[in-house]
Amino acid sequence: MTQVLGNKHMTATPATRVLGVVALVAVLLMALLGLVVSPADVVQGQAVRMLYLHVPSIWIAYGAFVVTSLSSALFLVRSSRRPDGGRHYDRLAGSAAEVGVVFTGITLATGMLWGRVTWGTYWQWDARLTTTVLLFVTYLGYLALRRLPADPRTRGRRAAVMALISFVNVPIVHFSVDWWRTLHQKASLSVGRRPEITGEMYWTLLYSTLAVTIVAIWLIVHRYRVIRLEEMRDEEALEALIASRLKEDDVQA
Amino acid sequence: MLREALLVARKDLRVEWRSKVTLGHVAPLALLILVVFAFAFDANARLLELGAGGLYWVAVLFGGTLLIQRAFDVETEDGNFDAFRMSAIGAPSLFLGKSLGIFLQVVLLEMVLVPGIALLYNVRIENWVLLLSAAVGGTLAFSVCGVLWGAMAAGLRVRATLLPLLLVPVLAPVLLAGSRAFETALGVRAEAGWTWTSLMFVIAAVHTAIGLGTFGFLLEEG
Amino acid sequence: MSEVTTVVAGWGLSFIVVVTYALWIVGRGKTVGRELGIGGQEELDSGSDSSTPADV
Repeated sequence: MTQVLGNKHMTATPATRVLGVVALVAVLLMALLGLVVSPADVVQGQAVRMLYLHVPSIWIAYGAFVVTSLSSALFLVRSSRRPDGGRHYDRLAGSAAEVGVVFTGITLATGMLWGRVTWGTYWQWDARLTTTVLLFVTYLGYLALRRLPADPRTRGRRAAVMALISFVNVPIVHFSVDWWRTLHQKASLSVGRRPEITGEMYWTLLYSTLAVTIVAIWLIVHRYRVIRLEEMRDEEALEALIASRLKEDDVQA
Repeated sequence: MLREALLVARKDLRVEWRSKVTLGHVAPLALLILVVFAFAFDANARLLELGAGGLYWVAVLFGGTLLIQRAFDVETEDGNFDAFRMSAIGAPSLFLGKSLGIFLQVVLLEMVLVPGIALLYNVRIENWVLLLSAAVGGTLAFSVCGVLWGAMAAGLRVRATLLPLLLVPVLAPVLLAGSRAFETALGVRAEAGWTWTSLMFVIAAVHTAIGLGTFGFLLEEG
Repeated sequence: MSEVTTVVAGWGLSFIVVVTYALWIVGRGKTVGRELGIGGQEELDSGSDSSTPADV
């Protein structure tokens, strides 16, 4: 990520080219496994195939938001030591959050379609869906906050504080809503418990998680680079403005 | 620190007292919202009775958000934020003081809303202790969260639209808890009112701790 | 909606979203890069995409 950006493709480096190809192959394999090779479910039928996208998406989203929070914490620490310190953490926080929002959206969309087939309705006010919607809107708000004009340090600090508070809030929201509702299908995979889906479906799900993770990493890296480019451009523009002002002063003097 | 906080709260309340915005503008608005809900539910008495607990908190949310906006507009319009930052009043005191100010204003609002739902929605208050505790807990949580997030959006030109967007997801558990607790207090349902109330106090405590820790960071910018 | 249609819709939608997002990122990178004056008259190489729609 700290390499000099290449000439031909602004956000590409040899390493991420390889990553991109790997992601591509992984995804095609995921499609093959998920849509063709793995069996239909006894109860849910073909609809189970939706879960191979739905479940990994929300896991990756959670992971991305964790990255955002950790990055934000590190940013606050770094920026209090050096005024221009830690900006890479701020960029990482922002890119991870955006990717997280995209995957949360996919989670909701696939979840709703799955629900339509299995429950008969697009929406249920159960714990999982409700907290996911709140998560989605929370980080949409975070992205909105990041977009507001301010010098990078101010904006970064404000966003970082928000990211941390939001993160602390997630378990509170989760607990509250969960306690309020308990309709959603119990977690198929959780630490220490025997998974409810077994055999080929289980492995397809795990593999899909891997494939989606690779895609997410590719997206985060490239988004990060774009943010960096934008910051460079803004700084150049500012310097140019200052330089022209100085020249004006010289001419007038 | 507490003394400074009280100074801040007194200042805010004095501003409020002179302008009478809470009683004059926001409380009537909140009552209006209760009326509008009746329109929305086609004056279905049963629905309104069942929903009274929740509708109450929606009205509090609406009115309270306006009060929070105002609390920070008052600071930034005259450049007061700069004055605060340069004064000796520490960020934590500012946070506590503003929260206290908002708390009292929202309580004022709720003193109008409780009779409001009792009269308009024909509900009976079965458990006054629970109701008042829930109201206090919810208002506390609302106040500290509101001040914290209000500061985050303060000084921004889009704050009026951004603040609600940021605030509501955070307050979702409070709304949830408040509604359920009130429903129990109003005799609409028979469960867990005190647990929900405790949850609101916990949320208030957590956000107070966060606010004390991070308010300094938020004030440092312009 | 039949099961198959739903699965197709879900997978299709997800792929479209991710691909569009990836293309947007890369495209934006090029645009800003051009503003900065960093090289590149090269065209978008399809190898820089992360995924393509599955042939369902």
